[in-house]
Amino acid sequence: MQVELIHRPGNTAAKITLAEGEACTTESGAMIAMSGNMDIETTTHQKGKRGLLKAVKRMFSGESLFMNHFQPKDGSGELWLGTALAGDMMEYQLDNENLIVQGSSFLACEHGIDLDTGWQGFKTILSGESIFWVNLKGSGKVVLNSFGAIYPVEVDGEYIVDSGHIVAFNESLNFTITKAGKSWLHSYLGGEGLVCKFHGKGTVWCQSHNPGSFGSSLTPSLRVRSA
Amino acid sequence: MFNIIVTGNLLNQQTAEQVIPALAKLFKLSTEKAAGVLEKAPMAVKKKVPMEVAEKYQAALQSIGLETAIEAVVNTESPVTETESASSEPSEPEAESASTPSSKQPFSEPKDINQSTPEHFQGLEFKLDGQPDYGFATVQIPAGETLKVEASAMATMDTNILMKTKAKGGIGRMFTGESLFINEFTAENGQGEIGIAPGAPGDIKHVYLDNQTIYLQNSAFVASTMGVATETKWQGLTKGFFSGESLFLIRCSGQGDLWFNTYGAIIEIDVEQNYVVDTGNIVAFTDGLDYNITKVGGYKSLFFSGEGFVCRFSGKGKVWIQTRSVPAFTSWAHWYRPSKN
Repeated sequence: MQVELIHRPGNTAAKITLAEGEACTTESGAMIAMSGNMDIETTTHQKGKRGLLKAVKRMFSGESLFMNHFQPKDGSGELWLGTALAGDMMEYQLDNENLIVQGSSFLACEHGIDLDTGWQGFKTILSGESIFWVNLKGSGKVVLNSFGAIYPVEVDGEYIVDSGHIVAFNESLNFTITKAGKSWLHSYLGGEGLVCKFHGKGTVWCQSHNPGSFGSSLTPSLRVRSA
Repeated sequence: MFNIIVTGNLLNQQTAEQVIPALAKLFKLSTEKAAGVLEKAPMAVKKKVPMEVAEKYQAALQSIGLETAIEAVVNTESPVTETESASSEPSEPEAESASTPSSKQPFSEPKDINQSTPEHFQGLEFKLDGQPDYGFATVQIPAGETLKVEASAMATMDTNILMKTKAKGGIGRMFTGESLFINEFTAENGQGEIGIAPGAPGDIKHVYLDNQTIYLQNSAFVASTMGVATETKWQGLTKGFFSGESLFLIRCSGQGDLWFNTYGAIIEIDVEQNYVVDTGNIVAFTDGLDYNITKVGGYKSLFFSGEGFVCRFSGKGKVWIQTRSVPAFTSWAHWYRPSKN
């Protein structure tokens, strides 16, 4: 699987080239174009495995219940992936390790990577973000998307990130949900609310914009929905 | 039809050292290739073009110091039948591509000088800024000429330009999601400049149509010169209904500049056999490609893949797709709409 990211950072699309016999798993709805020889299979579980429970968990993580598996027939094939929101993407090579990805930032991974939705405990409910995170395990390529630009933060010790700005982080990091300011009142009034405090050594990838904030800023100009 | 011949004689006491780089720049060639043109002269640098175009080439080549001759082409294919076959039989792309050698590869990059078409020879001078995220086109309109621009897309213009609003393109425009009106900008007393900013954040693409036809998805049209005829084309009920877009496409044909815009960046795909594009991401495609609306994979994929219906193009041609899609964004934004209670 070869990944090429073009038109970065604002209007990024990922071009994924699959050789014969290779397969790739993507978030549902991400395909924007593909060569005519590409086969698509939609499952609730990982290709070749069973696991409805995992799928239900994934639904809670803000991802779709279903995943798409692309595989070219008769030679190689190409696949273009895009997202609904403007922003950058990143390619990450997993080397027998775990990467924890924020629910809506997962875009695609090589077949062979184990995709699970990790329960990060009740503390994440408080963060106001998705309760579940996607836990990617194994070796291979992963493609993530963000809203806005992506920047890595090397953590050695402690670091605080607003929960809406997290794209992914190494499993070597632990985090706790805490208040941003000194007092709860100041945190609330400051609009920061709750933040994630990371401990340990590893990388956190952050996105420059927060989808939730952007969405709320649209609310006053959108028409009322009936239900 | 006329051919433009470089005779190999130099004008205005120019030397080959001065002319070769100028020629290379004009045709976007390597210096070696430009030198090759002079070596091989007399040589036709542009074949089978109408008289006005030939004169433009001649003037440009003379200005850099090359003597040129215009030679009439005696050919069984007269220009009249060529235009006719292109415009009267849109449903038969083979007829068009077979009639003119130049339209066999209508949008390919110029490979040798015979195919190269520097922008300022044909069509208007323009520049694009802010690509690919926030494309903005600045077009120079020569005195007396007119540019058709999508309603509300004009951002800036100088005082030489006069705007007229026309309800052109017929009732069909109402259905394409475009405004019923189109604005015509005419440079009145001398050259005028107009800045065009499309509504959606994205890229602008320029195509010079030389008796070719391309189809635009609704709302992709930005501007064109008067030689480009834009009309709405009924896609057919099944194609249109399931495409998730409008029932109509915009058919652009004729000769002249055409600018179209995208939401997100633009990706150009050369279709050799067939290619599948999400219906929300199609921007434009060349005449000669056939398409139908199908489902991706099986019925499970139809309902649950998040892809729904897709457009399968077949044949040989080009498809332009955009990296973002309006329906995908609006369905994301839907959850932020205020609810009644």
